[in-house]
Amino acid sequence: MKLRARLALTLSLATVSLLVLLGWAQSRWSSQLRVEALAEAALHRMDSGGRELCEANPEAWPGPQGQRRSHRRPGPPGHSFRRHRVFAYDSDLLSRNPDSPVFPPELAQQLRAGSDVATHRSEDHRRTQVAVRMPWDEGPCAVVLMRAKAPPRWFSGAVLMPAFIVAFVMILVALFSAGPVVRRVRQLTESVRNLGGGSDEPIHVDGNDEIAELGTAFEQSRRTIQAQLQSLRDREAALRNYIANTTHDVMLPLSVLQGHLVSLQQRIDAGEPLDAKAMVPSIEESQYLGSLLHNLNAVARLEASEGLAHRDSIDLNRLVERVVDRHRPIATRKQIALEGAVPEHPVEFVGDLTLLEQALGNIIQNAVRYNRPHGHVAVILDGTGDAWTLRVVDDGPGIAETDRARVLEPSFRGSEARTRHPHGMGLGLHIASDVAARHDLRLDLTDTEGGGLTVELRFSQRDT
Amino acid sequence: MTDRILLVEDDVALGQQVVETLSQAGFDPHWVQDGDAARGLNPDDYRVIVLDLMLPGTYGMDLLKRYRVKSEVPVLILSARDDTADKIRGLKLGADDYVTKPFFPEELVARIQACLRRPNLVDTERVVVGGIQIDLKAREVVASDGPLSLTPVEFEILALLARRKGSAVTRDALVDAALDPGHDASRRTLDVHISRLRGKLGANAAQLETVWGIGYRLSERP
Repeated sequence: MKLRARLALTLSLATVSLLVLLGWAQSRWSSQLRVEALAEAALHRMDSGGRELCEANPEAWPGPQGQRRSHRRPGPPGHSFRRHRVFAYDSDLLSRNPDSPVFPPELAQQLRAGSDVATHRSEDHRRTQVAVRMPWDEGPCAVVLMRAKAPPRWFSGAVLMPAFIVAFVMILVALFSAGPVVRRVRQLTESVRNLGGGSDEPIHVDGNDEIAELGTAFEQSRRTIQAQLQSLRDREAALRNYIANTTHDVMLPLSVLQGHLVSLQQRIDAGEPLDAKAMVPSIEESQYLGSLLHNLNAVARLEASEGLAHRDSIDLNRLVERVVDRHRPIATRKQIALEGAVPEHPVEFVGDLTLLEQALGNIIQNAVRYNRPHGHVAVILDGTGDAWTLRVVDDGPGIAETDRARVLEPSFRGSEARTRHPHGMGLGLHIASDVAARHDLRLDLTDTEGGGLTVELRFSQRDT
Repeated sequence: MTDRILLVEDDVALGQQVVETLSQAGFDPHWVQDGDAARGLNPDDYRVIVLDLMLPGTYGMDLLKRYRVKSEVPVLILSARDDTADKIRGLKLGADDYVTKPFFPEELVARIQACLRRPNLVDTERVVVGGIQIDLKAREVVASDGPLSLTPVEFEILALLARRKGSAVTRDALVDAALDPGHDASRRTLDVHISRLRGKLGANAAQLETVWGIGYRLSERP
């Protein structure tokens, strides 16, 4: 059922019920009043000379009835007793007047039960009969019976008609006044429906009542849902991008690795003497593959802005030892001395363990990868938890001053960063730079004294 | 006696390779392929436990928790998952270190050796580094050629290097620890002291290595 119809129906039902209830109460009250007034009138009449007249001539009392003008009786205005008739009976409820009706058995029963006043409505509810026991028992006028027109019944047209008229008016008022409310609810419904259809229109309902509040609540929910949807779409796009790029990126070193292995096999087949050094490119490429996957994973996390979802206290001494140990096998095979040094006491730092490890790993990997045989790479952690520096010093070819800024661009786009840098730096230093920025670390590239590159990560509590 | 290492790794190819690597490095590896079998073992029977996190039948973390309840044996986690939360959880549950796959055999051996070395870092009164014996309390040094007569600065340098034997120590750390800031506390002065110290160490001089870009290191073997 529509809101407007429901409102009208509810209002009219409530009104009719209330009016009928009031009508019923009024009818009961009016009946009661009438009985009391009739009883009082009977007593008054007998007290004011009626008894004497009745007892003197009981066969004819009260004389011809119906044409007499009624007397004004006690009771509220409006309760006049026009056309009421009076009959007298003795204590056995017998009348000497032959015109008197037989005493109604219903009333007789009530009087015998001990009541002083008995009342009864005729079956057609048009007449009320009231019997009043007089204060005396003797004589032919001990009980007076009065017959009068009954008040309207509570469910009669006289009572119900105003109720239904009021109800009808209420329906009209409800239908009319609910119009603006219904219109605004429809407006809200329409907006919410459009939302389901993918509309970006904001939900707006005029006013400052509950409907407007509902509209505002819907609008807030719409924004939250849209933000979540966008985030999901971004993630999905990042994931798809990640898978596509990973596949592409892994194929390249994998192809290089396959090439190395095939070449080795051909040289062995040809009977060419091979030394251990011949294996180094293959080993290096396989390590590059592993590192690439870790880097792509780091990129996916950084791109999805989840980079620093984990912040924990990290023992940097252990981290340096671990990363140096990780890259030493390749350095050794390339005849590059990779050494690490940490302070005697642990340096604690709060950050993302995986990303920091990856950042340092990338810097070291670059230093090793592009260094020459008998070159050196030193990783030095110095300072305390409040201020520390982590330097990766090498004596390799270095990076030209003009290229350094580009290598350290703080943000990058996946495909752009993945393509190998002119210096072969790939995305390693981009990641290092991004991770440093997200940890409030300063990352600087400088020349090593005597040639080479020094990459420095610096942290100071005062800078954060 | 060789150090017994427990390897809990479900992958057959990797397990075989690690066992071979550990044997070649002079360890006595005991390889268990699934978590359920590893549950029943006494961790204190081993010097180091190498634990794969993704095991069939059980999750490596559960095993780690179980071992930690009854033993302090160093545990090295082997993980293919590049997940920070996982590593941190492992470390918080009592793992000593972790190695992320893929890894070179040497890397694993280096991490195991680091696990074994760690308790030796605590200060002791007497440190022996190869042929050099240093009594930190009596401030006496005996090399292969006999007792050495060192200046206080030379002793401080040697003591710091000996306390951190096998590790490279930066020049700055040595300058701070051994040289008087009121006098000529420079790297150049340090190098002069090192040169004299090497001269006094005689046959053991090669143990005092120069580390490029860092400083010096006192090695067990030259």
